[in-house]
Amino acid sequence: MHIARSRNNARRLILPVALAALAVSLLTAAAASAGANEHASGRVSGITVYAAASLTDVFPQIDSGPKYSFGASSTLAAQITLGAPADVFASANTTLPDQLHAKGLVQKPVVFTRNRLVLVVPTSNPASIHSLYDLTKPGIKLVIAAAAVPVGTYTLQVLKQMGLTSVLSNVVSRESDVRSVLSKVALGEADAGFVYSTDARTVPGKVTVLKVPAWAQPKVTYEMAVVSSSSHKTAAQQYINEVMSKAGQKKMLAAGFLAIPKK
Amino acid sequence: MRRALLALAYFLASGVALAFLVLPIVAIFVHVSPGRLIDQLSNPVVRDALVVSLKTTLIAQVLVLGFGTPTAYLLASRRFPGRSLCVTLVELPLVLPPAVAGIGLLVAFGRFGLLGGALRSVGITLPFTQAAVTIAVAFVSSPLYVRQAIAAFEAVDPNLVAASRTLGAGPARTFFRVVLPLARGGLGAGEALAFARGLGEFGATIMFAGSLQGVTQTLPLAIYAQFEVNLDVTLAISALLVLISLALLISLKLASLWPWQPSEQTSRSRFGSLSWS
Repeated sequence: MHIARSRNNARRLILPVALAALAVSLLTAAAASAGANEHASGRVSGITVYAAASLTDVFPQIDSGPKYSFGASSTLAAQITLGAPADVFASANTTLPDQLHAKGLVQKPVVFTRNRLVLVVPTSNPASIHSLYDLTKPGIKLVIAAAAVPVGTYTLQVLKQMGLTSVLSNVVSRESDVRSVLSKVALGEADAGFVYSTDARTVPGKVTVLKVPAWAQPKVTYEMAVVSSSSHKTAAQQYINEVMSKAGQKKMLAAGFLAIPKK
Repeated sequence: MRRALLALAYFLASGVALAFLVLPIVAIFVHVSPGRLIDQLSNPVVRDALVVSLKTTLIAQVLVLGFGTPTAYLLASRRFPGRSLCVTLVELPLVLPPAVAGIGLLVAFGRFGLLGGALRSVGITLPFTQAAVTIAVAFVSSPLYVRQAIAAFEAVDPNLVAASRTLGAGPARTFFRVVLPLARGGLGAGEALAFARGLGEFGATIMFAGSLQGVTQTLPLAIYAQFEVNLDVTLAISALLVLISLALLISLKLASLWPWQPSEQTSRSRFGSLSWS
């Protein structure tokens, strides 16, 4: 009786234990494969880099050493204002780093790259959009970034420049960063969205790129700076130097970013 | 000596836990003066988000009650093969990360999702609409209601149901006149929990419905969007949600519907030997 019960208990334990073991092994397998991706080009380590979402792919290629936090530059700036432990701030515009510099929150920012705004549509192009002017068609699902996010500001500039502000009535969502805009288009849920040309390249085959005419193209200039409250300022500066170096800039160009304007 | 140390650790741990749970709530109210909080509430962003949140949450709760109640009763009153699997599946959204729920909804009901073609053939596209917000809210909040409802139905004395039937009441009459009134408390508590969870829904909504002021931007989405624009608005909405949640919790407790009442008697008698006072 006693033995039978304990055997019964043991049997009752088998399934939960097996399931728990499965869950743990899935987690460790995932963690291990994630770790394998970190190839050894890490030079600067021990610092945290807060960088614009559009830099998600290229920054770890330049140096896989630092810890990265990617997001809308505006979100990152708000976090730094509230004391987030960042050592470097890399923004998709010049406004935010300049504002933080004026408040003494970051050191003097430097321009490190430029980008271009483009319109992307799903490869299947369900709304048959072939130029920016097609965005005026009624019922189109256009996705843009929130106005506070740099890419959202650039988008509004382009639409204003081209006299297309009426297409704002076709906006179905104002996303929190450029990569969210991209994924909504890549999934085919949105008919079109404004992103950087470098973002479009990260989902080959899923989206078609429509160029913004040169005369309406906004100046998309990226700046980065050492965060004033950083306790690793030397390493942070070293990281910025690395991005500005010939090798770093070569990787930026290879990812589709534009060269720093000559002074 | 050892006893005194243990007692100290005991009270210290409780104090730390309490402070940890209360401090963030207090901080919201400390950061901005009540006057400014009220000023911010007239901000159109806040007003629009409040309307979207209330509308979608209320519709979602009607759906949860309408579909969840029969489901809970079925699972509570019948024994059939696969029943416990059904209960587990119903509870799954409760422990699922909301972002997973969002991507799941997208690939199920999105334009190119499993049901996307069928929906499109009848002229419906869900993503980026208020319907999508409602679906996301219903998806993440329904398990809280259904779970509680199953427990409430199971607690109904089967003898009363049998008596009602032998006295000539049909199954529908028995359900509405006997089972439902007896299970009322548990159903109310479950529904209130589901409502609160629905009001706070964020991850599934932002992935499935996007965020557009006046259309799909709910209160939690507005908190996120305003974080980098105007911290005062963020804090005002947060304070508003704290007050709504608090009001909900207190009214539940006053109505004695809260399922987990810490009874003073039980804790004294059961843990009496642990009290050092």
